[in-house]
Amino acid sequence: MARWLRLLIVAAIGALVVVLVLAFQRDPHDLRTGTVGKPAAAFTLQKLDGSGAFTVTPGDGKVVVVNFWASWCIPCKQENPALVKVYERYRTSDVVFVGVLYQDSADGGLTYVKENGVVWPTVNDDQGRVAFSYGVFGIPETYFIGRDGVIAGRHIGPIDETTLINGIEAMRTKAKQ
Amino acid sequence: MRSRWLIVAGIVAVVAAVAWSARPLPETPAQRVDRISSELRCVVCQGLSVKDSPAESARQMRDLVAQRVSEGRTDDQIYDEFRASYGDWVVLSPPLFAWSGLVWLAPLVAVLAGLHVAWRRSRAPPAVLPDPPSAQVAALRERVAREEALDAP
Repeated sequence: MARWLRLLIVAAIGALVVVLVLAFQRDPHDLRTGTVGKPAAAFTLQKLDGSGAFTVTPGDGKVVVVNFWASWCIPCKQENPALVKVYERYRTSDVVFVGVLYQDSADGGLTYVKENGVVWPTVNDDQGRVAFSYGVFGIPETYFIGRDGVIAGRHIGPIDETTLINGIEAMRTKAKQ
Repeated sequence: MRSRWLIVAGIVAVVAAVAWSARPLPETPAQRVDRISSELRCVVCQGLSVKDSPAESARQMRDLVAQRVSEGRTDDQIYDEFRASYGDWVVLSPPLFAWSGLVWLAPLVAVLAGLHVAWRRSRAPPAVLPDPPSAQVAALRERVAREEALDAP
């Protein structure tokens, strides 16, 4: 076999190994595709409790946590205690929590909110437009939006307390620098 | 002579009629929605297009495509909107001139490399085996003779 062909095969195998190593190092909960690193879309949706519309305007100087969920989603229920706890921790701060109901009935969502201690603003994305603009694959998904309005990160799947706090603190620290 | 011209005219008329009936018709909005939806990947499915998927999110994506079509957006504008959220992954046929275009290039490179190897092998002279040592040949001949003697009736 020609020397150059042997070198080419070795280089191809080496490249494959490098790609696999890099791919396996990635956190599957933190896919950096799509909207991460780009300005978050502003949106206005109706609140679940029927008290009118709620508008999210990324880039207005506040840290925003957007959580996509549904009442039928078991992992959403699993992550809910962490959301409740962390929301209480930042309730009086400049961090805004928004829950976006996705692929669910407003009635189902409202019952869930009442039964699970969800007191932060929750809105109904009944047509899925906001979910598409954020690049949601499935629920639950949580997006961290910095004060500059850029999506700093997202977490796919149920989120825990530490990851939530770390995500929020990273954006608050970044803003101070 | 006249009948020959009539036959030619008849053939031309038939060909023209076939070409006319096979001409591409302008797409209706519904056909356009179907075509664009069949090129978009359902984000919660395994390898299904938005058109073929029964999932709720696929239905919502189809609705969004239909709305964009009715608003007069071009195909590229609609694809770009989904690409902005989900990357090139969301399009079932990835663009040729992007990193994802490697998926088109890789099979071509593999085929070309295979053809090159086959061509080199076909041109190479046949392998010449060295003659076995005479002692080995003698031993083999003796063994064959022995076995033939045993097989003899």
